[in-house]
Amino acid sequence: MNTRLIKIIARQEWAAFFRARLPLGLYAVLLSMSILAIYIGWQYVNNFNEHQTEAKEEVHDHWMKQPDRHPHRVAHYGYLVFREKSPLSFFDFGLDSYVGNSVFLEAHRQNTINMSEAGFSNGMLRFGELSMAVVFQLLVPLFIIFIGFHTIAGLKENGLLKILLCQKATFRDVLLGKAAGITLLTWFLFLPLLFLGLLIGTVSHSAGLSTDELIRMGLIVLSYGIYFLIISMIVVAVSAISTNARNALMALVLIWILFYVMVPKSAQNLGNTIFVAPDKITFEQGIESDIAKVGDSHNPNDPHFSELKESTLKRYGVDSIQALPINYGALVMQEGENISSGIFDKHYNQLIQIYKSQNSIASFLSFIDPFLAIRNISMNLSGTDFESFTEFQKQTERYRFEKTQALNKIHLNQIKFKDDSKQRVNAQSFQQQPEFKFQPVPIKMSLRHGAMGISALFFWVLASFTLLSFISKKRQFQL
Amino acid sequence: MKSRQKILFLECKNFLIGKAVIFSAICLLCFGVYGFYHGKTIIDRQQKTILSISDIQKKHLDQIASHGRGKPVGTTAYYPFFYTFNPASPWAKFSIGQRDINPFTLKVKMLAIEGQLYDAELTNPLTLLVGNLDASFVFIFLFPLLIIALTYNMISGEQENGVWKILRTSTTNIKAAIFYKLLVRFAFVLTMTLLLFFSGILILDLPLTQPTFQLGLVLMVYVIFWFSLSIVIVSLGKSTSFNATTMVSIWIFLCILFPGVANIIVNRNIPIPEAAETTIKQREGYHEKWDLPKKPTMEKFYAVYPQYRKYPIPEDQFSPGWYYAMQLAGDLESANSSEVLFSKLNQRQEFSERLAYFNPILTAQQLVNKVANTDLSNHIRYLESVKWHHKQIREYFYPFIFEVTPTEAMDWSGYPKYRPVTYSQEVLSSGILVIIIWIALGMALSIILFYKNFIQIKDPQNA
Repeated sequence: MNTRLIKIIARQEWAAFFRARLPLGLYAVLLSMSILAIYIGWQYVNNFNEHQTEAKEEVHDHWMKQPDRHPHRVAHYGYLVFREKSPLSFFDFGLDSYVGNSVFLEAHRQNTINMSEAGFSNGMLRFGELSMAVVFQLLVPLFIIFIGFHTIAGLKENGLLKILLCQKATFRDVLLGKAAGITLLTWFLFLPLLFLGLLIGTVSHSAGLSTDELIRMGLIVLSYGIYFLIISMIVVAVSAISTNARNALMALVLIWILFYVMVPKSAQNLGNTIFVAPDKITFEQGIESDIAKVGDSHNPNDPHFSELKESTLKRYGVDSIQALPINYGALVMQEGENISSGIFDKHYNQLIQIYKSQNSIASFLSFIDPFLAIRNISMNLSGTDFESFTEFQKQTERYRFEKTQALNKIHLNQIKFKDDSKQRVNAQSFQQQPEFKFQPVPIKMSLRHGAMGISALFFWVLASFTLLSFISKKRQFQL
Repeated sequence: MKSRQKILFLECKNFLIGKAVIFSAICLLCFGVYGFYHGKTIIDRQQKTILSISDIQKKHLDQIASHGRGKPVGTTAYYPFFYTFNPASPWAKFSIGQRDINPFTLKVKMLAIEGQLYDAELTNPLTLLVGNLDASFVFIFLFPLLIIALTYNMISGEQENGVWKILRTSTTNIKAAIFYKLLVRFAFVLTMTLLLFFSGILILDLPLTQPTFQLGLVLMVYVIFWFSLSIVIVSLGKSTSFNATTMVSIWIFLCILFPGVANIIVNRNIPIPEAAETTIKQREGYHEKWDLPKKPTMEKFYAVYPQYRKYPIPEDQFSPGWYYAMQLAGDLESANSSEVLFSKLNQRQEFSERLAYFNPILTAQQLVNKVANTDLSNHIRYLESVKWHHKQIREYFYPFIFEVTPTEAMDWSGYPKYRPVTYSQEVLSSGILVIIIWIALGMALSIILFYKNFIQIKDPQNA
């Protein structure tokens, strides 16, 4: 290995780019598209979050302005929580458009998160959205293909490769030099743009820059850097094994279509076929039948609830529920809530597990398709991934449970059992509840969720490096 | 005449010998078959769920009626859900469209409808993001790639390996040579289209009625569009690499970038703040009534249902009649934003159809979804049918509620049956016409360019 030669070859690749007009034109197109995408994304996320904040404040106002009410009425009045987009979601929209944006939290019921953008779209969305991440994941590789397909194959065609190899350079040096040249060039052209875009976008819509965001940005830039390295090496490898530039281009375009259209779609569809998830009716029926097994608070002869009654009477040493110092109705209600909430959580976790199994096919296929790796890592780091959404669902459900529990407690202690529904409590007693605040998935967890993708990226670096070395040893590719 | 036949025969042979052609055709057929299988699986699953509904509904109502024994209907009526469903058309298997995103079953109670109408279906969001590999995807996304593979080097390949020069010098009729080349490929594309489409009809068991023919027509026109587009690129007379790069770039632009930008334009031009507003208004409208005098609420109810005025509503205590009047009030107060929401969804649909005039890929997808009844319009029709059902259920219960009928005295199976949305036969002519205009433009342009770049060349040596 001759580092000096590798450097010369790399520099040559660099110079060739700036000499030609077509690659520069392509770069200009990508540049303007990145800027457009990031501006649109930024504006969209900003407007969206503004709307959500307005709605949130309106709901909060309404909550605080409630007159004195019966606590169970307040539990049914419930609360609306609006999902806000994560700070880095302007870069990678991820799943944001396909998940719900608001959820109604009330007693007894776990409602779905509703009003997704996709539900209000007529199918154009399904072609894909234009975000900066899409430009970087799909189009930059295409750019690398267009500037790199002829890199070795072209040398073969015009006979230069033979001349090069007659001099000091080994085929390995040529391959590494070309790969290094193309990689460094793409890094130079796109990574600063990526970092600046992320930085400006984040700083301009939040007051400051948290360490968490800075680390995420750094990791995003790093992952895309590795991704470009992998793609560059693949392009050089394919160019090296092709007899001429035309064949290299055809093969690379075919690989692009496989990587970006066929494999991701087949992987997810396969996952869905193998791991069948219940639809809403089946899911609800499952919960209902489990609840019926434990206890039915509406049934006066239900064993679970008669036991609860007896033990409560015993504890307070009285012989009728009317004589209890607490409101027995509220106790039953909370017990029902405990049962249904526990069962819902169990079923919901199972459902999430099925979804995760479905998604795992695509994660495993990251080892075959580097796009899947970067897609998942990018979503993980931008907070627009499957886990962030699941986390939102879980946190809102916990919030719902705690809010209902607090109201049941007021009901238990401040409302007399006799003439229960005619009483009210002071509005202040339920005004003091904490506001819902989404706790984003911490970066450690994001990385853990993206572990498969990260290892796939490293695998790819190793694999493509090995591939280049392997090709460099084969005489047939040097001719 | 004989030499012409010979050229045609040779061209056929030459074309079919190419391994790439056979390989890409087989790939496409495989994906097509998988697409049929996938669409069938998804829609069959949905249909199975829909079929299970009537049992679930019956069991549910029986249970509630038996629990409610001894209580008045006004108390029991709070509990039952009434299931609705959006049946899939036979063509939904071909194009799943929005059916995986939007709920195909919804259950509603007698409570205010606006809080129940937008419940989401449980789905894996990543699956939604990636989208379905159904037959429409195979036709709309993958078929163009086959056409590109068939045409990108049809002349440039021969120019580059020297055959073209021989052909030019040895034939007097280069026009015929080009024409036969096109003809062979066009025949192949049409055969593939028909082959795939007919296997679709067989595998998916599509009825031989007008929508199937409409579907076939749309796909045929769409495929011809891509053929004419590829021919335009070929007629530029550039190199194989140039052709391949340009065609793939156009494919990416039309299939990925254009829709991405168009989607943003639609969302920005027609934002839907009403989505959140409707929910908030309905919730406030209903809940504030608890703390207000009962009379005004009842007046709102009587304005719609004057026949219940004769029943007394006590001002100082809870009564079911008042409770359901409050629920209706919530709906009435959010009716306006709900209407705006629906009309905005329709506006979005119309606006995207207009944007699609500039992109036959979008037009074709919209047309196919229209035939399949799997687009947003279909979902809006479904939501309207749910609203209607909810109204009928309410009106069925009101008399029993106001009469204070005991639960066991009411006929729990006599409620008006849900009437699902029926298949809506859509007019597709304007969309098809737009694609045909694009085809005509492409044809005209390619004829001019063929003359300029291939036929009217004075010096055949250097052509």
